[in-house]
Amino acid sequence: MKKPVSKGSLLISILKKDFRVYSRNMIYLFLTILGLAFFVAIFWLVPDTVDEEINFAITPPLEALFSEGKETLLAHGFPEENLGQLEEAESAFEEEEGLFLVEFENEELLKKVIQGELDIYKTNESSFVIHDPGGEQSRPENADKINLDIGMSFPATFLSDAVLGQKPKVTIFADASVPDELRGVMEGFVREMAYQLAGHELPVELPDEETIILGQDRVGEQISMREKMRPLIAFFIMMMETFALASLISNEILQRTVTALLVTPLRTWHFLLAKTIFGTALAMGQAVIILLLIGGFTATNWHLLLVTVLLGSLLFTAVAMFVGSAGKDFIGQLMYSMLFLIPLMIPSFAVLFPGSVATWVRALPSYPIVRLLYDITIHEIPWADALWFLIYAASWTLVLYGISLVVLKRKVSLL
Amino acid sequence: MSAKRVFKLLGKDFSVGPRKPFFIWALLMPFALTLLFQFAFGSLFEPKPRLGIVDLGDSAITGEVRELEGFEVSVLDDVEELLRKVEEHDLDAGLVLAAGFDEAVKAGEKPALEFYISGESLASNRIIITVTGIEMIRDLEGGEAPVEVETVYFGEPGLPISIRLVPVIVFYALAMAGMWVPSSSLVEEKERGTLTALLVTSATVNEVLIAKWLLGFLFATFLAAVTLLLNQAFGPRPLEVMVVIIVAAALASMIGLLIGIYSKTATMLFTLIKSLGIFLFVPVVFYIFPEWPQWIAKFFPLYWIISPIWEVSIMGESLSLVWFELLVASAITLALIPPALLMKKRMLT
Repeated sequence: MKKPVSKGSLLISILKKDFRVYSRNMIYLFLTILGLAFFVAIFWLVPDTVDEEINFAITPPLEALFSEGKETLLAHGFPEENLGQLEEAESAFEEEEGLFLVEFENEELLKKVIQGELDIYKTNESSFVIHDPGGEQSRPENADKINLDIGMSFPATFLSDAVLGQKPKVTIFADASVPDELRGVMEGFVREMAYQLAGHELPVELPDEETIILGQDRVGEQISMREKMRPLIAFFIMMMETFALASLISNEILQRTVTALLVTPLRTWHFLLAKTIFGTALAMGQAVIILLLIGGFTATNWHLLLVTVLLGSLLFTAVAMFVGSAGKDFIGQLMYSMLFLIPLMIPSFAVLFPGSVATWVRALPSYPIVRLLYDITIHEIPWADALWFLIYAASWTLVLYGISLVVLKRKVSLL
Repeated sequence: MSAKRVFKLLGKDFSVGPRKPFFIWALLMPFALTLLFQFAFGSLFEPKPRLGIVDLGDSAITGEVRELEGFEVSVLDDVEELLRKVEEHDLDAGLVLAAGFDEAVKAGEKPALEFYISGESLASNRIIITVTGIEMIRDLEGGEAPVEVETVYFGEPGLPISIRLVPVIVFYALAMAGMWVPSSSLVEEKERGTLTALLVTSATVNEVLIAKWLLGFLFATFLAAVTLLLNQAFGPRPLEVMVVIIVAAALASMIGLLIGIYSKTATMLFTLIKSLGIFLFVPVVFYIFPEWPQWIAKFFPLYWIISPIWEVSIMGESLSLVWFELLVASAITLALIPPALLMKKRMLT
């Protein structure tokens, strides 16, 4: 007579068996490793900065333009104390947030850069270097190429002409691919400067900057695509494990191994619990590894992030158990999984878009998980701010897990 | 070899096919991708400034705003809703036009401008919206601008990202229909033993293979054409586009047939498609990023079909420009026949 086997050792033996089956399934092992490598590579390839400035060129350089303008005006007897409006116009060019200005000595150089015949680089010392890509000189080192698609050529007498009401002519050179709105803004910018110089004040009262900005002002601190990819990658890694676990369960049902197991001291709930633990550990383990590789954990967010990843892993384990209980063949199970996973993917794409998420997207079970991953990894929200979404995520997980348990248990008992 | 038997086998695949999940996925994928790329990613890569407007009177600005190109404009009824949308960054900026705003501007009363900017909007979008708004208000005021502005353009306009993504969608149509459908169908017949059953009849292996190739070829031709139609990318030479699609579908389904012959199980098929997929997909990426060195793409077999599709359907070129690519694609298709015939023994073991 053998002594009775403990529940713990029964569970461990199923987990060991599942792990063996998983590691022998070359397709999922291959996809897991490929997926991890692919996502890490993608993360480090996407840009980590947000280009929110409009690059544009002008000629002649501001200093030359304004000093000549001032001299001409003084020569015309323009009172020196009224030259303040010129300084305002100059600062509009130099200090306006969102504009990046490159100055050229002459129109020929500006045109060649816009046409792409010459390149312009900004060095680490913030100086500009013009480089001929077809020439013999190598491209400047420690310098970043600047994309210049639009530039303005002012006549040397622009300021004095505008102030004296002589209607100067400004030419804007633009690459044909420049969007309409950008071309329009450059034309508008020149016109508005001329209005101001000519003494035509704005026909409206503009409000203060502080009163017109709603929400946290993120100029200069925009969230980069790389930062947005971090929660997305963790989410996709958890989701991908649905295929593996669903396939594992499908095979047990198709091949009736579960009925063979149930003639041992093993009970159905052992089987269900083992699948839950295995699926959750698999998804969570990989999500944690990837988050470590892409710098998702910080000293302040690790505990909250771990709880979220645990909830997400459990949610996808529940989906996998439901899909797997259908006991379909490989292709059938793959397609069946997609039916559930595509809707669950939608909230993750919503993260990439600016603005709030549609109400129906918020109702999807994966939404609170995506939202938590986003808020924790990007905004480092504390527990108190995460509480509502944690409850929301836990509720969905419990509902889906409950349904999956019932469906899978019923399937096992009918075999 | 009997053409009649080939068409009977093909007819069986077409009648059973629509019930198979891989058939349905192949059919749905180009539609889903078109929706995703055209509506979602099209605006993701090139986001336009989003302006909301509440007109409490009957301002001429509202009409002008609606006509603006390069902007996403929403006209709302409620100021509270506008403020909420701006704060949540559903809009980059919001403008409230009080009743009598136009008259006040024209009368030189300098009315206060109720204008809001989302804290999360990009600095560039703020400038674009602000300057455009000021321009419109200046227009209301009337009078001539104190400067003449002339714009000179260089080069040809670039293609929008939604068009540059068309090769990706066409690739998926060809891959799903041309590669996935015949290979899955063949592997499924192997796994279920129906292939063995077929081969004890008078049908030969070659007939089965030709029927599977035709299945992929016809389905890929149809789906690639529908995909181009959906994306309004059939160009000015539809007949020439069809020639290109036929050559492309022939190559794609030949690759699919080879994969199907080689794969003994669905698992093996899936692994092969996934691993080969990355290799086959590479030339498509070069159309999304035209600044990359394009010669690298020529090392990948599907370049020779994606390039003619791009030139003839999207760029509107004639077949004479892509005859060499089509020749290479046809040569690759023909070159894959001997390996397929050599490997067919593998199916019988």
